[in-house]
Amino acid sequence: MVETQRKMSEPPQPTDSHNAQAQKSEVSKKSLKKKVEVLLKAAGDAPIMMRKKWQVDGSKQVAYIIEFIKKYIKCEPQDSLFVYVGQCFAPTPDQTLQNLYDCFGADGKLVLHYCKTQAWG
Amino acid sequence: MAEDREVLRYIWDGRLPVCFNLSSDEVVTVEQPDPYYLLVPRLSYLTLVTDKVQRHFQRAISNESVDEMWFEYDGQPLKWHYPIGVLFDLHGSSASLPWNLTVHFQRFPESEVMRCPGKEAIEAHFMSAVKEADNLKHRSQVINAMQKKDHKQLWLGLSNDKFEQFWAVNRRLMERTGDDPYFKFIPFRIFQSDKQFIQELFRPVNENGEQHTLGDLLHEFVPEVFTSGSTVIDNEWRVVIQGIEPPLETPIHWISEHFSHPDNFLYVVIVRVV
Repeated sequence: MVETQRKMSEPPQPTDSHNAQAQKSEVSKKSLKKKVEVLLKAAGDAPIMMRKKWQVDGSKQVAYIIEFIKKYIKCEPQDSLFVYVGQCFAPTPDQTLQNLYDCFGADGKLVLHYCKTQAWG
Repeated sequence: MAEDREVLRYIWDGRLPVCFNLSSDEVVTVEQPDPYYLLVPRLSYLTLVTDKVQRHFQRAISNESVDEMWFEYDGQPLKWHYPIGVLFDLHGSSASLPWNLTVHFQRFPESEVMRCPGKEAIEAHFMSAVKEADNLKHRSQVINAMQKKDHKQLWLGLSNDKFEQFWAVNRRLMERTGDDPYFKFIPFRIFQSDKQFIQELFRPVNENGEQHTLGDLLHEFVPEVFTSGSTVIDNEWRVVIQGIEPPLETPIHWISEHFSHPDNFLYVVIVRVV
């Protein structure tokens, strides 16, 4: 899996769906080193990503994942990219993926929708 | 819903005297500009209440290298997207009043502070937080049942400092839905300086149906503030919400209803006593 990974500066790592690392457990809950499984889904006119599931260091912030998606789908630097949780709200850019996973994750993963225009307000 | 209306009013009326000074190395006029004093609402946002500050200092800076205005306290760039009261409790509560902030128009700290391109950005940020909070409290049922004009009323109430206008809508976000006498989860964030804030799921009641208290919340997420093996906060720490230190036995649901910021999040600030 890792060989097929695109080389980017410190990229999130692709993941297998049966990877159990993202399972929530009392012990690892507070560890910032834990990886979070993130599922990235395109919305509106945003290009889809060939690989949608990624393992990301839970201490990374939303701003980081936004930059990652922008690079991956080759956004122009001036383009906006919006990320939403639960097709409901845009998380604050300095929120960590771990916090989001703990509050809004389900079935071992955090689903984020991204689009190039504001979708859910 | 929230019943102790006087408490809500008291929280709403919280003000902070701030003295703004232009960063001395950015002054290009022979005469130093006077400091600018403002009494700002604790519940508001820095970039929402500082148009006058910007105009006041505009005359004293170079027109060429002007960037977006930003604020600093004691070397710490301030994130405008958290309420002013939270910023003060976190960074400035040991300072004397007025709170002395330094104003900058150069070298915007990109890596630490998000840019604020205008009032729309503040509104979008605010509404997102309200939606996030309602997702935790009511699985988004209340916010989704509202109309666009209700959302607008929340924002206008906050930005124009109109208590009645804001609470006419916000009371619905503080109501319980269906038969459940409590919120599903308490929308809270625990802030400590130099640390990422904590936000996790926390129910207002335990398995036995008893209400969780502020002390329970702290035990769960920041046990290090307690003197080991006790239920007393160590002398080293202060736990501040809306500028005060509420008793630890206060039910967390009541605190959430009454001490939350307009974005519907409860901000708990842990400060080390110096």
